[in-house]
Amino acid sequence: MSQPLLEIRNLTVAFNTERGREPLRAVNDVSLSVYPSQTLAVVGESGCGKSVTALSILRLIPSPPGRVLNGQILLEGRDLLHNSERQMQQVRGKEIAMIFQEPMTSLNPVYTVGDQIGEAVTLHQHVNSQQAKEITMEAMAAVGIADPRRRLDAYPHQLSGGMRQRIMIAMALSCKPKLLIADEPTTALDVTIQAQILELLRKLQRDTGMSIILITHDLGVVAENADVVAVMYASRIVEYAGVEELFDHPLHPYTHGLFRAVPRLGQAAARLEAIPGTVPNPMQFPSGCKFHPRCAETSKRAAESSDVVQITADRKPLTVMRVCTQEEPVLREVSPGHWAACHFSPGYADAPVSAAQLDHRRQVSAESEIVGGATV
Amino acid sequence: MTIPMPPTAVSVGPASPATNGRPLLEVQNLRVWFPIQKGLLSRTVGYVKAVDGVSFDLAPGRTLGLVGESGCGKTTVGRAILRLIRPGGGVVLDGAVRFKGENFLLKRGSELRRLRRQLQIIFQDPVSSLNPRLTIGNIIGEPLSVHGIATGRKRTEMVAALLDRVGLDPSYARRYPHEFSGGQRQRIGIARAISLSPEFIVCDEPVSALDVSIQSQILNLLADLRKERHITYLFIAHNLAVVEHFSDDVAVMYLGRIVEKAAASELYKNARHPYTVALLSAAPNLDPRPTHRRIVLAGEVPSPANPPPGCAFHPRCPLTRQLAAGSGEKDTVSVVSGGQTVRVLRKCVEESPRLVQLNGPAGHVCACWGVS
Repeated sequence: MSQPLLEIRNLTVAFNTERGREPLRAVNDVSLSVYPSQTLAVVGESGCGKSVTALSILRLIPSPPGRVLNGQILLEGRDLLHNSERQMQQVRGKEIAMIFQEPMTSLNPVYTVGDQIGEAVTLHQHVNSQQAKEITMEAMAAVGIADPRRRLDAYPHQLSGGMRQRIMIAMALSCKPKLLIADEPTTALDVTIQAQILELLRKLQRDTGMSIILITHDLGVVAENADVVAVMYASRIVEYAGVEELFDHPLHPYTHGLFRAVPRLGQAAARLEAIPGTVPNPMQFPSGCKFHPRCAETSKRAAESSDVVQITADRKPLTVMRVCTQEEPVLREVSPGHWAACHFSPGYADAPVSAAQLDHRRQVSAESEIVGGATV
Repeated sequence: MTIPMPPTAVSVGPASPATNGRPLLEVQNLRVWFPIQKGLLSRTVGYVKAVDGVSFDLAPGRTLGLVGESGCGKTTVGRAILRLIRPGGGVVLDGAVRFKGENFLLKRGSELRRLRRQLQIIFQDPVSSLNPRLTIGNIIGEPLSVHGIATGRKRTEMVAALLDRVGLDPSYARRYPHEFSGGQRQRIGIARAISLSPEFIVCDEPVSALDVSIQSQILNLLADLRKERHITYLFIAHNLAVVEHFSDDVAVMYLGRIVEKAAASELYKNARHPYTVALLSAAPNLDPRPTHRRIVLAGEVPSPANPPPGCAFHPRCPLTRQLAAGSGEKDTVSVVSGGQTVRVLRKCVEESPRLVQLNGPAGHVCACWGVS
């Protein structure tokens, strides 16, 4: 078994808010691992801590107010949290690169795209300006930009959303990083352009062997790209498994609920099963398991149990299991290669507590067929 | 008076007896062109043909889904119907929008206001569509005062009832928009839209900005209201699965035109237009073991300011290339697409295809030369 490329151990990140208040924990006791040429998807809704986790890896959390309270972020065994700022500059872009959701705001509007990709190249590689230009054009060609020589002099506003995201990817890949962190890379894009970008990421991964941390809220994107999935809810990982296992046997009630809440093409359902309530605000997380006010499982079990408490959720009285309001479940390996943090997952009580780590690759998916010409 | 229907018009669903068989909404050959102005004198040098000849009928209580990628004109259709796009300043706005037989686009003054009560909209962005300086009570209550339906205590009571109906606590009327989450704000937007008991609502990407677990709550709420109040929806979205789930019929738009339209289940099962086929194929599937080969369209949607001639989809179209390969020299032409020269059917470049009824279920129409 190979060693993970990146390993996060028990990471807790907190933000100071008002004076005298307890700092709020945006990321709580998160452990995950990415292996070489593996794609790990971190999926969750707004405010669950997925982006803070990603930014922590690159040490891009502004401090203050942000602070790592606990944990290790090991890149090939070295703890990035012990690096100096200077050392981090060598890591960012060169070893770990990141692409963001909104390519317009992450590109500088007053420089040409050639200058911006070239800057990353000259910063991290010992090359002269002519070589940098060659490398820049190579990177642009690799992400499918036709006629890179002409595009070198384009400004970001002259490009479409899909093209800008390609430029971001070219910039990220120009220094051949070992790990690419993609934070909602296709959320702002149209469906056909999303398909192009995801296909491109898969191809680049096959060609270069880089690892990808894919942060998304879209379960469809997860299904098609991830090898391993970490589901986050309210600052914690609540489930962790290989992608096939997770889609076949979701264990956590939140994961379950998510799957049932999304309409599927070609499977007309009269009504969607909704998860009641709202995504909790980190300022006022519920006690115990943070999902209990919205959880179908705990209220179902409470109907047949005496060890229950009454709570108010979504303006209505609700009976839930006492344990869910008192004890926050931690991630346990309930079956080999499948971690869940729910008191009522089968086998949870006797399962060992261990850091989630899975060197799994998905079965090769059906190849895409690229048709039609570019009209740029 | 009978209105001659343009040949491209298509009907949605069975006519309801309540309106003597008349559709609630008839959109006929709607065009919205925005001027491209240049120079010191703002001379008009061309037009962005955002909507270029869109026609459809909508029977009472039915939902028509409008899908397409950004820039296809779906949002402009919704706004033009509600007269949120003002003609003038060079904007070309013509065609007809008949609401219960009356051309809404020609109404003015008190008549316009009277009809406006019946047509409402729910916006995509629940943050920017609510005035941050008004309380929720005023946001929802304002239409009631403006249209002289209720004031004072009666208005307060009506607002409370509306809040309760959309699943919010009536005491929230005293709060401000920033105190609410995205899903709650969208509920407020829905309460505002239904406050005047409209018969028709345009939903413009109502769930795109919301978290997955909240999307289904809002879709269920909209579906309940449809049933309770017999509301007719025009449901605009880019997410195919959401549109299929929510709509009776679905129209697919590309560069300002409807290219295919059918009952939702029919469109999913028997999509015929190559663009619809590609769109369905590109939609992410919740299956970690995909079996079908995905069609990934190369290139991007061309600018509506300078759309390709003939069928606007021909530079990206896989079907025309395939058909050109089996056709004679004189029926095909070479076009340059993304730096590559490809052969396509001559007809696709020279003539714009019309929406025609296909063999199969009535109402399945498609605008493609390659589909018989």
